[in-house]
Amino acid sequence: MNDLAARIETARAKWDSLNNSKVPVIYIGTATCGTAAGALDVLEAVRTTLKENKLKAKVVQVGCIGPCYLEPLMDIKMPGEARVSYASVTPQTARAIIEEQLIKGKLPLKYAVGHFGVNGNGHIDGIPKFFELPMLRNQVRLVLRNCGFIDPEDIDHYLANDGYAGLRKALELSPEEVIEIVKDAGLRGRGGAGFPTWRKWEICRGAAGTDKYMICNCSEGDPGAFMNRSLIESDPHAVLEGLQIAAYAIGASHGYVYINSDYNLAISRLLKATEQMREYGLLGDNILGSDFSFDVIVKEGAGAFVCGEETALIGSIEGRRGMPKSRPPFPAIAGLKGKPTIINNVETLGALPNILRNGADWYKQFGVQGNYGTKTFSLVGKVRRPGLIEVPLGIKLRQIIFDIGGGSWKPFKGVQTGGPSGGCLSEESLDIPVEYESMKSAGSIMGSGGMIVMDEDSCVVDLALYFLHFTQNESCGKCAPCRVGTHHMVDILERIAAGKSRMEDLSQLQVLAETVARASLCGLGQTAPNPVLTTLRHFRSEYLTHIKEKHCSAAACKELVEYEIDPAKCNGCQRCVSICPTEAISGAKAEIHKIDQYRCIKCKACYEVCRYDPLAADAVVITSRRNAS
Amino acid sequence: MKKRNTTIQVIIDNQPLKVSSGITILEAAREHDIFIPTLCAHEELSPHGGCRMCIVEVEGMRNLPTACTTPIQDGMIIRTHTAQLQETRMEILQLYMSEHTSSCLICDEKDDCKRFMPTIRKAGVTTGCRYCPNDGQCEFQTLAEQLGVTEIKYPIYYRGMRVETEDPFYDRDYNLCVLCGRCVRMCQEIRTANVLAFTNRGRQTVIGPAYGRTHLEAGCEFCGACVSVCPTGTLREKTRAWEGKEDREEITTCTFCGVGCQVRLQIKGDRIIGSLPAPDPLVNNAQLCVKGRFCGTELANGPLRLRNPYQVIGGTKAEISWETSATTAAEKLADCRPDEFAMLVSPNCSNEDLYVAQKFARVAMHSNNIDTSARLFYGSGFDAYLNLFKMSSTLQEMQKATAILCLGLDSRFARSVVAVALRKAARRGAKIITIHPREHNLTLMADKWIQPLPGEEVSLLENLAKLIGKGVKKAGTKAAGMASRSNHSRDLSEVAEMLRGSEAPMILIGSEFLQYDSAAAIFKAVEGLAQKLKAGILPLPSLNNLVGSVLMGAYGELLPGGNSASNAEKRKQLAQIWGARVPGKNASQNAKSLAKGAKVKVLYLVGEVPTGWQPNAEYVIFQNIYPPDGFCHADLVLPAAAYTEADGSFINGEGRVQRLNKGVPPFGGALPDWQILSQIAKKLGVQGFGYTSIEGIRKEIAKVIGERRRVIDFSREPKQLALSAKLVPRSAAPAAKTKSNGKFPFLLSISAIEHSHRGFPLSTWVEGSKMLLTEEVLEINPHDATKAGIDSGAEVVIISDHFEKTLPVKLVSGQPAGTLHASLHDYLQFNPNPHPVKIRRKKCSG
Repeated sequence: MNDLAARIETARAKWDSLNNSKVPVIYIGTATCGTAAGALDVLEAVRTTLKENKLKAKVVQVGCIGPCYLEPLMDIKMPGEARVSYASVTPQTARAIIEEQLIKGKLPLKYAVGHFGVNGNGHIDGIPKFFELPMLRNQVRLVLRNCGFIDPEDIDHYLANDGYAGLRKALELSPEEVIEIVKDAGLRGRGGAGFPTWRKWEICRGAAGTDKYMICNCSEGDPGAFMNRSLIESDPHAVLEGLQIAAYAIGASHGYVYINSDYNLAISRLLKATEQMREYGLLGDNILGSDFSFDVIVKEGAGAFVCGEETALIGSIEGRRGMPKSRPPFPAIAGLKGKPTIINNVETLGALPNILRNGADWYKQFGVQGNYGTKTFSLVGKVRRPGLIEVPLGIKLRQIIFDIGGGSWKPFKGVQTGGPSGGCLSEESLDIPVEYESMKSAGSIMGSGGMIVMDEDSCVVDLALYFLHFTQNESCGKCAPCRVGTHHMVDILERIAAGKSRMEDLSQLQVLAETVARASLCGLGQTAPNPVLTTLRHFRSEYLTHIKEKHCSAAACKELVEYEIDPAKCNGCQRCVSICPTEAISGAKAEIHKIDQYRCIKCKACYEVCRYDPLAADAVVITSRRNAS
Repeated sequence: MKKRNTTIQVIIDNQPLKVSSGITILEAAREHDIFIPTLCAHEELSPHGGCRMCIVEVEGMRNLPTACTTPIQDGMIIRTHTAQLQETRMEILQLYMSEHTSSCLICDEKDDCKRFMPTIRKAGVTTGCRYCPNDGQCEFQTLAEQLGVTEIKYPIYYRGMRVETEDPFYDRDYNLCVLCGRCVRMCQEIRTANVLAFTNRGRQTVIGPAYGRTHLEAGCEFCGACVSVCPTGTLREKTRAWEGKEDREEITTCTFCGVGCQVRLQIKGDRIIGSLPAPDPLVNNAQLCVKGRFCGTELANGPLRLRNPYQVIGGTKAEISWETSATTAAEKLADCRPDEFAMLVSPNCSNEDLYVAQKFARVAMHSNNIDTSARLFYGSGFDAYLNLFKMSSTLQEMQKATAILCLGLDSRFARSVVAVALRKAARRGAKIITIHPREHNLTLMADKWIQPLPGEEVSLLENLAKLIGKGVKKAGTKAAGMASRSNHSRDLSEVAEMLRGSEAPMILIGSEFLQYDSAAAIFKAVEGLAQKLKAGILPLPSLNNLVGSVLMGAYGELLPGGNSASNAEKRKQLAQIWGARVPGKNASQNAKSLAKGAKVKVLYLVGEVPTGWQPNAEYVIFQNIYPPDGFCHADLVLPAAAYTEADGSFINGEGRVQRLNKGVPPFGGALPDWQILSQIAKKLGVQGFGYTSIEGIRKEIAKVIGERRRVIDFSREPKQLALSAKLVPRSAAPAAKTKSNGKFPFLLSISAIEHSHRGFPLSTWVEGSKMLLTEEVLEINPHDATKAGIDSGAEVVIISDHFEKTLPVKLVSGQPAGTLHASLHDYLQFNPNPHPVKIRRKKCSG
């Protein structure tokens, strides 16, 4: 322990010196979201600018602070002043910002979006506090507390911020006491099922045998979900500390982090983190001088969605095909290599250090009875402020979508939660609290945290079809209800989307959905019909319109819409003529253009260019087909 | 699940029941004859839980657990047939049927078709409707009938997969596959060959070898175990596809090698339509190899099977009656002095046939000129090889062995049941060592593969013995006639360590090196090794009744019972039983001399075929199941019954006397060998051949060799060979005149074709085996081939100091560089020892 104490001292000093740096510190969010938005180009521009101007400054690459819509984010902390956050930075604006602030000493307000104050206080004219921004105001960032602030590749940053204090606390207690704390805190599995974490642990703890395994499930397969990836990229140690705490509680000495192989940055950060942990005596034999020995293997999965299922995940680690097995026996009794095994989600583990450090009562102040704590969500879709958020459980859906997310530009239609296993809720459900039970009774699930907002341009049939295509492709093929059942469901949905269905199809779809849900072997099949079942429940009228009137009001189902040019508006600018990939639009310059319906592939390019190009006249109209057969 | 002795109380369908503990719900239900529909479950295989047919409702368990995977617990309340369960099962079956051609269930014509065959088809009406080979014996069909499914409400989705017919013996039509996974589990768990797996996922899920390999590439042994467990018509035997269900079964012994697996002949009417393994714990444990599983049916039913006796006069064949054939044969034989007569009888014949054959030679012809082709096959190591049977172990010992040394044992397409046992032994931690010059099926799974260059074998084994004794490292070995290119010393030390440290070592002998002159020394070295290790030896001969041929005295220098023919006392005893004089004069001819061209007046071939030599006889009697055309000339051809068509017995390598049970009547007018011989003997006016049944022969054999329990009661106990005489092996071939040097850079070793039956190479009559067996090709290392500018399949001329031979080339990555190998049917024409050769591409003429 003394060894670590010394290191913590050093780490704190390092952290303090960074915060009280005599030279400017430039933070750039270069996790995957930031990189995708162009953060690496910004980073290069920053370095070049600094070099060219012979400016002294520290550049720290940090993780994701949450608001994806503001990426790339660049923060500058001038010595003695508040750290200011600049949004949507490009290489050019980065240069401009640096020149303004570092050379001219002035704050370029037009790029600034928020500030972090000095020691939490302070006021800057014209810039709100970052955490008062509408998107951040209602968030409670516990699991994500370090994201965007620390360098994820430097264990000292983590240590300086109460890192591994949770583990140290746990090691002072007995494993049973640790389980008791987690029980008291009411932590439930954040992977989607919401099973009480302590109960799984207790079964495993009581299972026969001394060889036990602790696995972190980072096989994040939901399309559009990136909570786990973000957390590991931005603060890997939070997850690893949680893994250790869990391992200690159940009595495991071997651990795995199972992670998709395409999460390159997350994997490299994990490997770096574990390397540093070993250096610091936080992994290996007799950790921190206790009886607890533990080490971690980072195992890459090949990317199958089904490998997020416990028994399939275990099979994948064992080198077998990722095909789920019937339970019982449950992994807690006989899992990896036949030994008692616990698999917890990344976020569940990420919550543990906080709980152990601050106690169960502290944790229970967040959330509501039976659903304590916070949950991260990836809020995406037709929403003004998409990004990664963390909110207390029990918050209303309306608050998330409208207060935090800023609502959609066009009229709100619904929200999809829980990924391919989840469901679609309509406006009527906006006031339900976001927690496990109420989401379930509304017909959806909270899931692992994917939240897709839809507006009037989204078609629920199209959405159901999208998710069902996904589960069809990801089905492992072992059981017929899932393998064949989802195929027939896709079949019917495709026909509905093409305007080629009858009312009987709807009842057949319902029967199919129920069979698949009831008879499938694993969670993938059992929940695959959810998108269909919930959309049928909350948006039935839309299905009926598709079937009876062959009409898609969202104009998303290609077979059911037609693109036309309003001759009254068309100004003959030829923008659409040149952009059409199939040369379906004819019309000379300054003459009314016309779309050949047989060639039109409904790609929407003409609609978009006519609407957004300044020279065009917004003359393309999408209507439902008049002559649909 | 491991059944335990305790019982527990459960309630199934409102009935309180006592069931065993430690089993699944399905097994518990079956204990009380409660029916739960299943598809993917199979009692030999682990539970899969994929078909979802056996779903049940268990109070306290959410969802619908599968009965086949769920362990039964005390106090469980289970419902197996609620309305919801039935409905769900129907739905699931409908889903299956939407992707499985189901004309057998929903075709309107189906009932009429069975009775009147009215539907017009391009094929002749008598062939009937052939929509699926599994019709009438299909588990899927039965399931649909049990659940009462009469319509499919979902659109039919035909997967449109290519039917795989390119492999021999069985086809695969995955359009019918229900992905029950039985074949995968059978191949992985029971056969341990790991050829099959689930590949791809979602709608593209299909069974097959991984990584797009072919079955041959993936190591498939073509054992047919997967075909046996397939519940649908997906996997089907080629020769059996349209036969329908068998009428009856008959258990007999496979005669394709000295393992002697127990098989269940599948019989329809008067024909063998298939061959399945019998669940025999002594020898083959419900498994077979490709020969016993598939080749027997084709062999027995070949269109060229001999049906009636015929004479060949002036090149023309004239069919004659049995009466005439016996008279004709007797005429020729009566005119023949003892040393002008010679008989060769096959070690594939049954004990009874062999016994009557040698009695014929001795009593009817007063001659000791009786021999088998084993004398040619086993070369100068014959006696030393037979010696190994005097200390033979058993196959069951493999289950306890802690280290198994395999000498020259290729066990993929022959003796693959031994390969299964080896893999199982490896799984439980036994060390497997294989000594073989080329890559073979044990290469990858063995703990050590020693690859001796041709000629190195003796010194290798002697060194190994020394290392085991001393525990000291020794320098490398030198191969005869050339500098050693490989240093085995490190490998040998490791092997010595493995063997020395093993409490129950065992040595298995395959069929490599058998033709070498050094074979005698090789087997002597093996004996020495076995003694040092106190290891069991089990020779696995390819000639199935080799031991029987010895014990029945089918050799000039042996009397039945294993005694020497020059033992006057034994001859006297035998003469008393036979009531006839037993000739004492030594044999003037044997297989060796005949193959060299010695002249005789009458040569009587019983199940023997001259391969690579022509008989120098005035009159040849050819008694076999197929004609001699293409092999040798014959004057009188007599149709014999195949092993599936006659009773009999033979002795396997472990010394077990195993039963041959007649399955069907002999083909055409064929007769069992012993009956034909007896007919002719009677015509010759000789006494002692009035056998009316096989029991009569057995009684006599038991009397002569004193073995009632094995021969008559079929106790099937293993027994080491009692042989007190020495056989005269073939003399050594002259040493090679050339040295392996720049001029003759390759070392060529030639083997006899191992897979034969009644003298014919098996591939002559079984088309499918040609694809699997590497015969009549020159095996060459790919690098050597590239260097010499030779492509796969190209013809090369092999040139040595005493022959030139043209063969097509096969690139074998496991062939050691600088060496060549060929399995040839005319192996006798060549020096049996490895000798230096050169090769050149054959020039195309024109």
